[in-house]
Amino acid sequence: MKEHIAAALDAATLAGATYADARVVETRHERLSVRTGHVEGVESGESLGIGIRTIANGAWGFAATSDLTPDGIAHAARQAVALARAAAITASAPVSLAPVASFIDTWSAACATDPFTVSLDDKLALLLLTDDILRAEDKVRVTSASMGFIAVRKVFGSTEGSLIEQSYVESQAGIAAFAIGDGEMLPRSYPNNLGGQAVQGGWEAILALDLPGNAPRVAEQAAALLSAAPCPSGETTIIIDGSQVALQVHESIGHPTELDRVLGDEAAFAGTSWVGIPDLGTLRYGSEHVTVTSDATIPGSIGSFGYDDEGVPGQRDHLITNGILTGFQTSRESAPEIGRTSNGCMRADGWQRQPLIRMTTVSLEPGEWGFDDLIADTDDGIYIETNNSWSIDDKRLNFQFGCEIGWEIKGGKLGRMIKSPNYTGVTPQFWGSCDAVCSRDHWQVWGIPNCGKGEPMQVAHVAHGAAPTRFRNVQVGVAR
Amino acid sequence: MNRSLDDVRCIADRAAHAVPADAAEAIVLSRYSALTRFAGNRIHQNVAESDAQVSIRAVLGSRTGVASTNKLDDASILRCANAAADAARHAPQDADFPGLPHPKQLSIPSRAPLLLDAYGPQERAEAAREILDQSAARGLVAAGTVAVNDTITAVASTHGVDAAMHTDDIRATVLSMNGPSASGWASYFGRDARGFLPAQLGSHAATIAERSEGAVELAPGTYTVVLAPEAVADLLDFLGYLGFGAKAFAEGSSFLIDALGSRVVDPRISIYDDALSPATVGISFDYEGQPRRRTPLIEGGIAVGPVTDSYFAALLDRDNTGHALPAPNPYGPLPLNLEMAAGDTSVEDMIASVDRGVYVTRFHYVNVEDPMKVVLTGMTRDGTFMIENGRLAAPVRNLRFTQGVLSAFSSVGAIGSQRQLCGAEESAVLAPALLLEQWAFTGQTG
Repeated sequence: MKEHIAAALDAATLAGATYADARVVETRHERLSVRTGHVEGVESGESLGIGIRTIANGAWGFAATSDLTPDGIAHAARQAVALARAAAITASAPVSLAPVASFIDTWSAACATDPFTVSLDDKLALLLLTDDILRAEDKVRVTSASMGFIAVRKVFGSTEGSLIEQSYVESQAGIAAFAIGDGEMLPRSYPNNLGGQAVQGGWEAILALDLPGNAPRVAEQAAALLSAAPCPSGETTIIIDGSQVALQVHESIGHPTELDRVLGDEAAFAGTSWVGIPDLGTLRYGSEHVTVTSDATIPGSIGSFGYDDEGVPGQRDHLITNGILTGFQTSRESAPEIGRTSNGCMRADGWQRQPLIRMTTVSLEPGEWGFDDLIADTDDGIYIETNNSWSIDDKRLNFQFGCEIGWEIKGGKLGRMIKSPNYTGVTPQFWGSCDAVCSRDHWQVWGIPNCGKGEPMQVAHVAHGAAPTRFRNVQVGVAR
Repeated sequence: MNRSLDDVRCIADRAAHAVPADAAEAIVLSRYSALTRFAGNRIHQNVAESDAQVSIRAVLGSRTGVASTNKLDDASILRCANAAADAARHAPQDADFPGLPHPKQLSIPSRAPLLLDAYGPQERAEAAREILDQSAARGLVAAGTVAVNDTITAVASTHGVDAAMHTDDIRATVLSMNGPSASGWASYFGRDARGFLPAQLGSHAATIAERSEGAVELAPGTYTVVLAPEAVADLLDFLGYLGFGAKAFAEGSSFLIDALGSRVVDPRISIYDDALSPATVGISFDYEGQPRRRTPLIEGGIAVGPVTDSYFAALLDRDNTGHALPAPNPYGPLPLNLEMAAGDTSVEDMIASVDRGVYVTRFHYVNVEDPMKVVLTGMTRDGTFMIENGRLAAPVRNLRFTQGVLSAFSSVGAIGSQRQLCGAEESAVLAPALLLEQWAFTGQTG
């Protein structure tokens, strides 16, 4: 791989690049899925290629190829320079990059049991056993159990002298039961929707989820949802479980604090941000209970790495401190706009794509409440678990989330079950209404491996630490 | 830039016959794509990508396994073939698996290839500049893309399937921003280079942006709406994903259950999937090499049926409509070339017929509230206006809707006479504008 990097950087320099970096990325994946008693898929794959990013005539160009012959790499490097020169016809000012030290280093994430060494028989047996348990509940008509694994090895090099090799393994698994009746389909999943929980780690992480042990509850709750009460409509207090808080953070704090969005670079596709650079250090984003960090150093999180995809060390930074906006997620190009150096958030979806600012592990820091105490402290409201639908406007202000299940809270106690609760709000008012966050005992990191951004579309693996959190005066039961 | 059709076809054939199994199928996708992206009135990303990937499905009895690679040397393809066979050996028998399909007569549309050289880095940059100049000259800020795709798809199997086709397209988008809360939008998607007029596209978006300044609030409620084609395309896309696939039908989660042969929407609504339409860009066979054909999904308001692949056609005892996605996948067969039949009303006449309503240029971040009733939520963006006394009136701040598509399509006032190809190559939708009498807006950007 390192010889490919050297060849790419030499060719780009010879073609006239004033800066170049290159990433060779090799990925291997395996996915298995069982649906309603049938093995739906047993699949594996691999991909290898190089992405070359250049600055020429003061503008960016990027070319990627799976042709790793010397000619293939040289052609891609020259193509990247030609793309940069073409882009320069509209440049008002040349691209400049915040300084970063050059690193020659290796980094790898912990993985106790390489999942690619575990037999397909063992993996399928676990999924089929779990699926059998889910299907034991009569009212559950469709079931799903799946797991997937990715191994990544990549080498980054730049004309500034960095040469960084990184490797990690990600593992993901989850189950879902769907009860269907009277014209509605009601899902219940574990440990989260959309394929479950994703972590950096190996087979040990899959076993720790105890899918078979959780299947009876999941199936029972799915069936019970058919006769559960509809979500009431109106303003009330809500307590949201950690997995849904994670997505709430993702959509209404993570994305709007990406500095490329703030600067307008994503305007035509994902949108911009309701936050501006002048807001830094002064804007009240939420209540005093809201402190949010961006952290690429949390072991086991799929948002962690040693270095980002422009060679900046992974690090922890504060985005919101006691409710006040104190930081953005940045890159080498964007960070000078706020008078800082990059806090290392540039990542690409494989060798094919140019790095963008992507979330690392963006977390709502834990508070001090016990979960039972928080319920007991709530006179009237709804406790909501597990996302099922998400939508937010192009400035990340107006959002609406649907969830799988809820329970009434009456007089400090959980009451009857509620089906398909949803809630809507506007970002600063919503976070301003946060008056309690549960403690670190209830806090965990949730992997979100499906974050879409950019054109061509890139899917990033990001994560969020979160604990159950309470919000006041929230509109629930939209169109229910 | 891309491989030749014959090369890709040979790779597929070689891969299918390399598998130590009872039967095998190989899909090869070879692609060159390039995209020039601009924001803040300058190009900030200019990218190109070349790749080819082979995916092999091995069959042992009724067991199947899949493996893929983008390493196309003989040793790597053999390793991939063995991995697929190994996966099949570990999979349990599937009594419902009908076997790989046999070849059928294909109809490959004759489409002259785009001259990719005419859309090289310099030409795309020039087109981007033409677009953004329209905003810059008016003191506005433009963002968007000019992109070209060139794809060769080949499917081969040990049963004799031998399908290959070249497709290409141009896609351009432009968002013109007039301050922090006013914007306009225009896009082009297709393969007719004469239809891609950058300056005109940029001017259209800039005009909407200028017109959008000073947006007002609108109380949530039910309104008459005129939806531009891109907004309609979003609704059709979700209708296809949630309701028109055979997997959702077989599992009982599609609105088509118990509705076949019944009226489900206004009788003026007809929806088809048609990869052979000269207006679209897709391939005319599916990822099992089976022919796609014009498939009615809703005709005259009546539910006709779902799209199928070989597995679900056998399971449901229906015809195979040729809508397989690459195996395995969690979706089952899906319509990738949806179209709604055109009506006879211009957008101008639709607006003229509305006393009080809302015009929507496009939606943003649409998602599902209720899959069986196809209730969706999402936002408007880049040009939302009041309609008053038959004319576009004040711009409106972006609105949230929470609305059932089937119920909305049951209150049709008019269907547009012109259709626009929207989306992307993987899921192209040919949509007209729609006048809908009942549309629920449930919130607004704060």
